[in-house]
Amino acid sequence: MSVSNLLENWSKFRHTHPVEDKGHPDWEAYPSDIKWAMAIDLDACTGCNACSVACYAENNLPVVGKEKYSHGQAMHWMRIERYWDESESGFEVDQGARFLPMMCQQCEAAPCETVCPVGATNHTEDGLNSQIYNRCIGSRYCSANCPYKVRYFNWYDYPTTKDVWPSPMNEQLNPDLSVRSKGVMEKCTFCKQRTYVARNNAKTEGRPVQDGDVQTACQEACPAGAITFGNLYDPESKVAQKWQHQQVELTKEKQDKDKTEGNRLRGYRILEELRPYPSVMYLERVRESAV
Amino acid sequence: MKENDFNRRDFLKVLGWGGTAVALSGCGNTSIQDGQEIVTSYVTLPSYVIPSIANYFNSTCAQCDAGCNIMGRVREGRVLKAEGNPNSPINRGKMCGLGQSGVQAHYNPDRIRQPLLKGQAVTWEAALGAINDKLNGVKGEQVAFLTGGMSGHVQALFGNYMDALGSKNHFSYEAISPAVLRVANKKAYGMAMPRYRIDKARVVVSFGADFLGAWVSPVNFAQQYAQFRKGTRPEGRGVLVQVEPKMTLTGANADSWIGIRPGTEGMLALGVINALGSAGIKLPADIAAAVKDYTPERVGVNTGVPFERINKLATLLKERSPSLVLAGDAAEGYVNGSQNALAIAMLNHVLGNVGKTVEAAASVPFPQIAPTVGSRSSLNKLNDGLAAGKYKVVFSYGANPVFSAPAAMKFKDNFVKADFKVAFAQYLDETAQAADLVLPLDSAMEDWGTVVPEYMAAPEGSDADTYAQMSFRQPLMQKLYPDTRGVGDILLALLKQRKADEYKDFEDFYSYLHNAVLKNKVALGGKTTDDDDIFWDETLSKGIVPLKGVAGSVSAKMSAADLKLSPATGTDTNYPLRLIPAVSASMRDGRNANEPWLQESPDPLTTVVWDSWVEIHPKTAAKLGIAEGDIVEVASKSGSIKSQAYLFPGIHPDAVSVPVGYGHEGMGRYAKGVGANVFSILDPVFEQETGELALNETNVKISKTGQRVIIVKEEGPLGGSQDGRPKIAVQVQADKVDLSKEV
Amino acid sequence: MGKDIREDIAWAQINKDVLKSLESPRKAYWVILLVALLVFGVGVGCEVYQYNMGMGVANLDNPHVWGLYIASFIFWIGMSHSGTLLSAILHLMHADWRKPIYRFAEAMTTFSLLTAALFVAVHLGRVWQIYYALPYPNERWAWPNFQSPLLWDAMAVFTYLSSSMIFLYVGMIPDLAICRDNIHQGWRKKVYTILALGWEGTDRQWRNFRMTYLTVACFLIPLAVSVHSIVAGDFAMSQQPGWHVTSFPPYFVAGALYSGCAAIISLFVILRYVFRFEEYMTLPILKKIVRLTFAIAMVWTYLNCIEFASVWYSHDEAAKGVLIQKAIGPYAPFWWAMIFCGSVVPFAMMVKKWQTNIPIMFAVSLLLNLGMFLERWMIVSPTFSHGIYPWTFDHDQWPSMVQWGMVFGSFGWFTLLFLVFCKVFPSVSMYEVKEMVYHRSLQSKKEAAGEELAVKGAN
Ligand SMILES: Nc1nc2c(c(=O)[nH]1)N[C@H]1C(S)=C(S)[C@@H](COP(=O)(O)OP(=O)(O)OC[C@H]3O[C@@H](n4cnc5c(=O)[nH]c(N)nc54)[C@H](O)[C@@H]3O)O[C@H]1N2
Ligand SMILES: Nc1nc2c(c(=O)[nH]1)N[C@H]1C(S)=C(S)[C@@H](COP(=O)(O)OP(=O)(O)OC[C@H]3O[C@@H](n4cnc5c(=O)[nH]c(N)nc54)[C@H](O)[C@@H]3O)O[C@H]1N2
Ligand code: SF4
Ligand code: SF4
Ligand code: SF4
Ligand code: SF4
Ligand code: SF4
Repeated sequence: MSVSNLLENWSKFRHTHPVEDKGHPDWEAYPSDIKWAMAIDLDACTGCNACSVACYAENNLPVVGKEKYSHGQAMHWMRIERYWDESESGFEVDQGARFLPMMCQQCEAAPCETVCPVGATNHTEDGLNSQIYNRCIGSRYCSANCPYKVRYFNWYDYPTTKDVWPSPMNEQLNPDLSVRSKGVMEKCTFCKQRTYVARNNAKTEGRPVQDGDVQTACQEACPAGAITFGNLYDPESKVAQKWQHQQVELTKEKQDKDKTEGNRLRGYRILEELRPYPSVMYLERVRESAV
Repeated sequence: MKENDFNRRDFLKVLGWGGTAVALSGCGNTSIQDGQEIVTSYVTLPSYVIPSIANYFNSTCAQCDAGCNIMGRVREGRVLKAEGNPNSPINRGKMCGLGQSGVQAHYNPDRIRQPLLKGQAVTWEAALGAINDKLNGVKGEQVAFLTGGMSGHVQALFGNYMDALGSKNHFSYEAISPAVLRVANKKAYGMAMPRYRIDKARVVVSFGADFLGAWVSPVNFAQQYAQFRKGTRPEGRGVLVQVEPKMTLTGANADSWIGIRPGTEGMLALGVINALGSAGIKLPADIAAAVKDYTPERVGVNTGVPFERINKLATLLKERSPSLVLAGDAAEGYVNGSQNALAIAMLNHVLGNVGKTVEAAASVPFPQIAPTVGSRSSLNKLNDGLAAGKYKVVFSYGANPVFSAPAAMKFKDNFVKADFKVAFAQYLDETAQAADLVLPLDSAMEDWGTVVPEYMAAPEGSDADTYAQMSFRQPLMQKLYPDTRGVGDILLALLKQRKADEYKDFEDFYSYLHNAVLKNKVALGGKTTDDDDIFWDETLSKGIVPLKGVAGSVSAKMSAADLKLSPATGTDTNYPLRLIPAVSASMRDGRNANEPWLQESPDPLTTVVWDSWVEIHPKTAAKLGIAEGDIVEVASKSGSIKSQAYLFPGIHPDAVSVPVGYGHEGMGRYAKGVGANVFSILDPVFEQETGELALNETNVKISKTGQRVIIVKEEGPLGGSQDGRPKIAVQVQADKVDLSKEV
Repeated sequence: MGKDIREDIAWAQINKDVLKSLESPRKAYWVILLVALLVFGVGVGCEVYQYNMGMGVANLDNPHVWGLYIASFIFWIGMSHSGTLLSAILHLMHADWRKPIYRFAEAMTTFSLLTAALFVAVHLGRVWQIYYALPYPNERWAWPNFQSPLLWDAMAVFTYLSSSMIFLYVGMIPDLAICRDNIHQGWRKKVYTILALGWEGTDRQWRNFRMTYLTVACFLIPLAVSVHSIVAGDFAMSQQPGWHVTSFPPYFVAGALYSGCAAIISLFVILRYVFRFEEYMTLPILKKIVRLTFAIAMVWTYLNCIEFASVWYSHDEAAKGVLIQKAIGPYAPFWWAMIFCGSVVPFAMMVKKWQTNIPIMFAVSLLLNLGMFLERWMIVSPTFSHGIYPWTFDHDQWPSMVQWGMVFGSFGWFTLLFLVFCKVFPSVSMYEVKEMVYHRSLQSKKEAAGEELAVKGAN
């Protein structure tokens, strides 16, 4: 009976401290020794949008058109934000713009998860914030509570909307994941379909997932190589090494290094102080002032 | 040509039919009964095809001329996604957004599916027959063939066709191309397209070369740039200075962006040389003499760049060597464009960069397949000929001049004067609409071909100076429509009309290519003892054929004699603003405007989507009383367009900018009617030495129309402000961080 | 002050007057009913359209995901609090002037909750899966998320709705018996017979009845307070600036009582006219409600000031930004209108002469409700327009006609339910009015005789 299941397995539904326990395996074949994470180097990122388009191609994102875009109903899971230096007199362009690729930060203590009335958005055992489309009832509370505003709601039934996927455009759709219907929430999944293939392959070969087994679509496209992705629990992985070098710790909401002035490191997490424990570390953009 | 038992064609049939049968059987559309379709069982697929697991096939991106090597991800007979080929020295596994959108060119719902004769669908026999009829009795010199840039075996076949016609009237046209630069480079370095080594430079000073956006080989440059920015390089993190009147994506990534008065780029370069001289760099006597009048003070007044900044730039270049100086669109788009580019190139000589960061590139050993690059001047020649009634039959392939020629050239009027116009086209674009016969092309993901890039990147290694490559383009899936054809197939059919005997062995372009490749097995890296089929399969599966190229050399010296910098053209009081047509990485010259990912992908700087816009400096806008979203009229002597105003400090106050590529009247549902066509209002002003249309020489005036819109864009109401939040997009000064030990 | 009720109304007269409302209201009743039906029709039309097209037609966007539906939800929940206040609280406080008016106030509670529930449904992207939010046992382990304030909300509202229905019903039993005894044929007779549960007015029945009613009242008061506190939790538990405010629960409760009282005034005026209840819904009673409303208005104003002050002096820059935006940003006209309607207009209720002026009080009550509707909207929307993350600030969002249509339609739905109720059930409590008349007559006798007379057996 499911009530007894619920009572017996309560801890499976909620983690005691989202960042301290590693979660529970989906099923026995997969030990939970994976924590997917990212590092994005803003000094390398040129703002070119290749990642964003790659995400459209990989994840069946609908193109909504001008009218819906104007209503703020665009569906880009990866958006490139562009900021200017600011001064008293307005925007300064002498050092160019600042580009920031922003997508779901896969928070360890995700503010979107706790508020979902039906548990449609959850933490996975490999450290992601997952979205279960067929469970979602479309309350949009998760979006209201996501500090980064990276959740995208299906305001219309895009698959049947004119000129979204007119035949034969629909033949491009990636069969590894669904096309979402109206009324459900969606967002960056860290290309879950790719990570699962990597895990399946590793399992078939009887070995742990290694660094380089999987790239997200945005990372794969990025001409400047600004995006690093991998398993944070694997000390050999590039992403873990980057986090470690930058002394950014997943489980801290205030990094020790920030307590020392002039630490000369540039890793940081956005809105860390709200304690969502995001899984994306950004590296500050660098500018030479000598010119 | 005997084909082996199982080749890619059959394979594609397998995949293609398998895929289609599964897709269609649900709708009850298969016609297995009539025995025309080969339905292949999933149970008997070739061993390497496992349903639900993707196969990757190497090919070449056709979305721009950089020729990146790609892999098509194919599943159940459908190509789903393009990914970079990691073994490519050009793009090393990476791709740009434009390249990613190639699948949308392939699956585009607005592709032409049948030959159209005067707007009526006809069979290929009728279409080719019509060409044959029209060519009969027409002399070779009365036939003209307009193409875009071309290379590889299609080009070889094309050359044969022109010979067969007895015509020398090949016009290779690109609306946006570094045509002036090629000529200047030839003078300055001895080669049109040397290898630029951004990754080796400590400082890059780019005069409007948008190498991260749309310039030459952006994915290659973006990777070099990423190297250049690494603090762990022995040279340390590189510094980028961008000089241009309108900020490009590259400008947006600069450590220092200098918004220069349009047309004075060359003068600034001479000013810097002058300052370098003063700072103690030894200048050759002729150069010293040539730049003597260009003191930073005087240059400062003319260019609008404070002389302190010129001196600082000189100091930076002196202290951090090697550097790299680039001349791009913003420098070459003027009447004195060649001179600008030469002056800028001279900086590289003075700084000793030539040979270090400006390297010699090799060229392919077979001239027939070497790229023919397009220019704007060739269109002038064609246009003049058309106006004079010289051409009876005109072909157009890979170009859309009716859209991209300035209205003042009256190209369309002249084009329709020709008796018979044939357009090879994937969409019913403006040129195809004006043609008598439209031949529907395969998409680049359905077609065969080879590509030789103009910008020849090389892998690291000792033989880099002789490295050249040819890339394969192969079908990634079965054709979507039975009645489209590859350009090679069409050319072959046309050739057979002229020289049936010579080409009778080639059933189709595939067999021509197959034959040509196998004949040159050794030159293409094989051994005579290699089995033909194995060699072919291996070569194709790699997609990249490294060739022992012809090493070039860069000239170490440049004489000041070539340099006679004429002053920038003045402004016109009636048209007080300079129009800078902006070339964006997604939209480029507009040929990909019907791919919705590109329309919905925000312009990186303004974040505008699905429309064009007029970039105006806030000060200029204030003077004219223009606010964001006002519909303004941009009027030149040659015409006017209307678009929405976007206020933006990254532009010189004397300039306004409108992106090119928008404003299609045809093409398809995603392109038609989106934005305004800025090509149409360009003044017919030409670069004095090369005859190229000077893109930045149009003066305009701006007036409000009284209409307003809310601009549809990605940025929020704060524009690019972080509203005082401390840690969103953080920037740090280079001396505040230690990059040398980063991992 | 005049008498709140005439002490010489015969009990039979009371029955007659009230039962008349079940038979022959003024023509205005039918007019209002028809209008309400049309208005509701507009809302239904909008929902059908939205259901078929998708939520996009509401012109919500990412990240401005909540709008008038949620605002209306809070508004209607708030509205429901008046019934509890008048019935339960005043009942416990022995304020017997409540007696002629508490019944319709209780009905209001129930119907506002039913209206509020509609907004939960129309707000959902996939309303057809709404049952996922119910904690029903199933073999897939798929439980709703008990951590979500929305779930607490659903449970609280459901509990409140069922309790207030019980309260309404229990309090009506003696009156239902009167109806049963006075109506002689038709389906109604059967309904009353069943609902009256065999009430005969025996001592034992009265004793049990009093006990039950008191118990439900005691249960309902904390429930009402907790319900709106939990609704406040939907916001206060989130991290949106402007929502993440500790004082939200009392603020919401005060707001709820406020809008409830204002609505009582409006309905008081309407019922008094439509059902010719001038004898029972007297001006002195109106005066008392008006004074109560004024007091609550001041509490609400105070809590507003507290919230502004605590945000202003906090270190939460984002929350401060939202506050400033409310005052000067795109929502400023509505925010200031809310302040005006909610904190300035009530001062009209200080004017003695106006306290019993029906047109003026009617107008004031409508303005107060407008203010309270705006309050809810100003809670929901401005934080999306200017929240934590600057890139996604959204100053252009404006609810589409579909959203407005449903808000509009909800008033039709509420009115419809309410009018049907008043026509089918006695909207003035007969037995309690009788008590009231009896107490008044005792009192006047006492005054006349100058004697000490203990009032016994009251309530
Ligand atoms: N596109 C397409 N569709 C088809 C067909 C086709 O040819 N093409 N063929 C049709 C035919 S003939 C058939 S028979 C059906 C088959 O349809 P399905 O029965 O759906 O076939 P499978 O996908 O082979 O297997 C179902 C699942 O069983 C799991 N499984 C494997 N072993 C076990 C086990 O021991 N225990 C449990 N509990 N699960 C196990 C597998 O992992 C898989 O997830 O498909 C039909 N549909
Ligand atoms: N590797 C692997 N092998 C499997 C399975 C698996 O999952 N994986 N599944 C097994 C199972 S469950 C099954 S049922 C079998 C299926 O094995 P098959 O029956 O061999 O597979 P089908 O793909 O159904 O192909 C049947 C052939 O019939 C043809 N055909 C279709 N319609 C008609 C018709 O109307 N008339 C005639 N004459 N021909 C027609 C098709 O073109 C096709 O060539 O495969 C088994 N083998
Ligand atoms: S970034 Fe937003 S959507 Fe993603 S896990 Fe965090 S709160 Fe949830
Ligand atoms: S929109 Fe879906 S995922 Fe988000 S809170 Fe509501 S039900 Fe949960
Ligand atoms: S990780 Fe995947 S889903 Fe997320 S933004 Fe990148 S491409 Fe999109
Ligand atoms: S692809 Fe890379 S460089 Fe381009 S915007 Fe994305 S992260 Fe930045
Ligand atoms: S630069 Fe982009 S569009 Fe051009 S070839 Fe490379 S991937 Fe394709």
